[in-house]
Amino acid sequence: MRLAGVGAYAPRFRLSGDAVADALGRFRARGVDSVAVPDADEDALTMAAEAGERALDAAGVEVDEIDALYLASTTLPYDEEAGAGRLGSLLDLGEATRSAQFGGSTDAGGEALAAALDGDDHALVVASDAPRGAFDEAIGHAAGAGAAAIVVAPDGPGRIAGRSAATTTYPGTRFRERGDSETTGLGVTSYDRQAYRETVASAVDGLDAPENADAAALHAPDGDLPYRAAGALGVETDAVTEGIVARRLGDTGAASALLGLAGALDDGAEDVLVATYGSGGAAHAFRVRAERDVPVDAALSGDRTLDFAAARRRAGAFDSGTPEGGGAYVSVPSFRRTLAQRHRLVAGECVACGSLCFPAEGACTDCGAREGYDDAPLSRRGIVEASTTISQGGAPPEFVPQQARAGEYASAIVAFEGPDGGRASVPLQVVLAGESTPEIGDEVVAVPRLLYEQEGVRRYGLKGVPATENRR
Amino acid sequence: MRDAYVVGAGQTAFGSFPEESYRSLFATAFDRAMAAADGLGPADIDEAVVGTLGVGGRQLGLSAPAVTEHVGLSVPTTRVENACAASGYAVRNAVQAVKSGMADVVLAGGYEVMTDASGDATKYWLGVSGETEWERLTGTTFAGTYAQMASAYFDEYDADVDDLSRAAVKNHANGAQNPHAQLGFECSLEDASDAATVADPLTLYHCCPTSDGAAAVLVASEEVAESMDAARVAGVGAGSDRVGLFERDTYTSIPASERAADAAYEMADCGPDEIDLAEVHDCFAIAELLAYEDLGFCEPGEAPELLREGVTDADGDLPVNVSGGLKSKGHPIGATGAGQIAELWKQLTGNAGDRQVEGVERGLAHNVGGSGGAAVVTILEGEA
Repeated sequence: MRLAGVGAYAPRFRLSGDAVADALGRFRARGVDSVAVPDADEDALTMAAEAGERALDAAGVEVDEIDALYLASTTLPYDEEAGAGRLGSLLDLGEATRSAQFGGSTDAGGEALAAALDGDDHALVVASDAPRGAFDEAIGHAAGAGAAAIVVAPDGPGRIAGRSAATTTYPGTRFRERGDSETTGLGVTSYDRQAYRETVASAVDGLDAPENADAAALHAPDGDLPYRAAGALGVETDAVTEGIVARRLGDTGAASALLGLAGALDDGAEDVLVATYGSGGAAHAFRVRAERDVPVDAALSGDRTLDFAAARRRAGAFDSGTPEGGGAYVSVPSFRRTLAQRHRLVAGECVACGSLCFPAEGACTDCGAREGYDDAPLSRRGIVEASTTISQGGAPPEFVPQQARAGEYASAIVAFEGPDGGRASVPLQVVLAGESTPEIGDEVVAVPRLLYEQEGVRRYGLKGVPATENRR
Repeated sequence: MRDAYVVGAGQTAFGSFPEESYRSLFATAFDRAMAAADGLGPADIDEAVVGTLGVGGRQLGLSAPAVTEHVGLSVPTTRVENACAASGYAVRNAVQAVKSGMADVVLAGGYEVMTDASGDATKYWLGVSGETEWERLTGTTFAGTYAQMASAYFDEYDADVDDLSRAAVKNHANGAQNPHAQLGFECSLEDASDAATVADPLTLYHCCPTSDGAAAVLVASEEVAESMDAARVAGVGAGSDRVGLFERDTYTSIPASERAADAAYEMADCGPDEIDLAEVHDCFAIAELLAYEDLGFCEPGEAPELLREGVTDADGDLPVNVSGGLKSKGHPIGATGAGQIAELWKQLTGNAGDRQVEGVERGLAHNVGGSGGAAVVTILEGEA
């Protein structure tokens, strides 16, 4: 099996180590300049969808060609729920696509890739994480966010030249207790380093001549540990530099090494050593040879700098939750009925007159006929037809937490083109519009985001991002 | 069909009344309407139609009988609910009953108690009048939907925030003359334009308040109306549309209003240029501008000019919202439409006191539900 394309995504917000030091007096994440901070409506699932879309685009593989989805994460929104189902819906993979989910440790990314390489004709591997840790611990300081996705296929420019795995026993290096949202550890530095070095080295030992790789994409809970292990792995520190993204994004958990792979391939590396690692401990090692350029679609740059309070605010530190109330309630079953529209912008083409309608239900908005609709997925790029900005304090209750975290937001009506021409208008929240309301005529791109959470159930859908913001 | 007449009308003050219940508010409006309908007693009422959305966010299953039994009526009673157009439709139902001959006197009214819940709970509740599954789930409120209309209007026509403010300034000036108004103070153009933004480009002064209040209207046959202070219901029309703005062909017009107006004008056998005074639905300032155009008072895009030139001022050629409108008088959802009819009746029968507009022969009330999912237009005629 080969690699056909790679996608990567990281939130655009950055919190610098200096800003943390200014706020807390010190910054304990070694080798990290800044960490990526998820927006108020981003989580491991929305990042996974962003990366997955990019990988499919890069590979030029249609969603109906994908046989299996492998999702890896330690921070999906639910301890119990198949997140792969929602991701598959956001990516339009179809109900026949098999899925498997990997978690439990940050080695999950390697487990997922190994499983994909073992099976199926075409598979999509997605690793996504947004770990959290206490802000008086190094894990909390290093906590970043990001997702990487790989299309595995029988043909493709990326050959798997070797693979291996190892399992050791190192309790206490890094763990999260049941029900807790924050990862912690004993903080026994030499023990932690030894666990990492020994486990990863055991996995890499199974590969031929790892020292010849021109990039080493190693799991990086911070920007320091991979370098400390380089000697044990037999690779040069310069090679590690090519494959480490922790300096810019922080600890990206299960996505860490695969993000390093995306970055290295994007930089033109031809021979990449990939090593995933999870405390406990387990590691997977892969050797990727780019026989020709492996297409990569990566959005990893950060263009919004937050101060400490703003970053904590986005994480919900000052959010008092959804207000009590009633009325205008959309039940989960009702919401689910509309997932094709919310996740994939599926409009309907009126059987009688051919007009596009969104949502496609009831009488045609154009001719009034009730003869039914053919599915008509809309494009993801649309034009703003009407817009407003909902000021702080003015949001409907479901959106109060989002507004508490990210401030006022724009709400617009956006016209999207149908597959055979024509347009349908869709109400869409527009995020990242900056300080001003989007102008009529502006172009936006629909991206997967968390809409709101009610009764403990997250409702995902599409929001608009100005097209200029989408091009990172 | 025979004619129908408004023979009496009354309303409470609109505002916040924590000591009042929805029943007591309705009783006050009812008593005032009965007092205005000299010669008519409760026993003469054949039927009642009551408009309301709820009480502080609560839904009541028998809300109409709950208020009519409270004032001693045991007649057939129906609740109608079309969001903010609830009691406008209640009046229309009353007119239908009288014109059809099924009833000789019908009580039409409405009430709302909106201020006895937290601001958050009120926002939850008000959401039921919008498009809940799509617009609301983009985080859009009523103000947001009207703000989207304003954005499209600004893009299409020569208009800006000050044009919205002119509607607010006018209506506050009018409301200052109305003892029943909730926000009976005047404001300047700067006050309105520079106020805090609610949903860009709408500021606080471009948005109506939440209100408690009730209104009652007595609709009767010509036989009953003889020798009373009566205004003939010359025309009544209603229209509906997609609840979601995004599903409509236009964002700079409310087609339901146009349909309602067309039907009312046809029944009244008159045109918009024959209207002497209007009460229009100005829940947000842009709504008043759209109303001018949807009701045919001017061509599309010309509404700002009417405000700039003072045409719709109280002393202009076509006074609009001399009561203060929803903006200043208040907007207790279920009572608003009947309250507009009450104002028309007062103006047409010379009972409007200090804000009486002279020479009013024909008045129009325009009541919109939600952001335009429903609308009703009523034209009354009196003797100038």
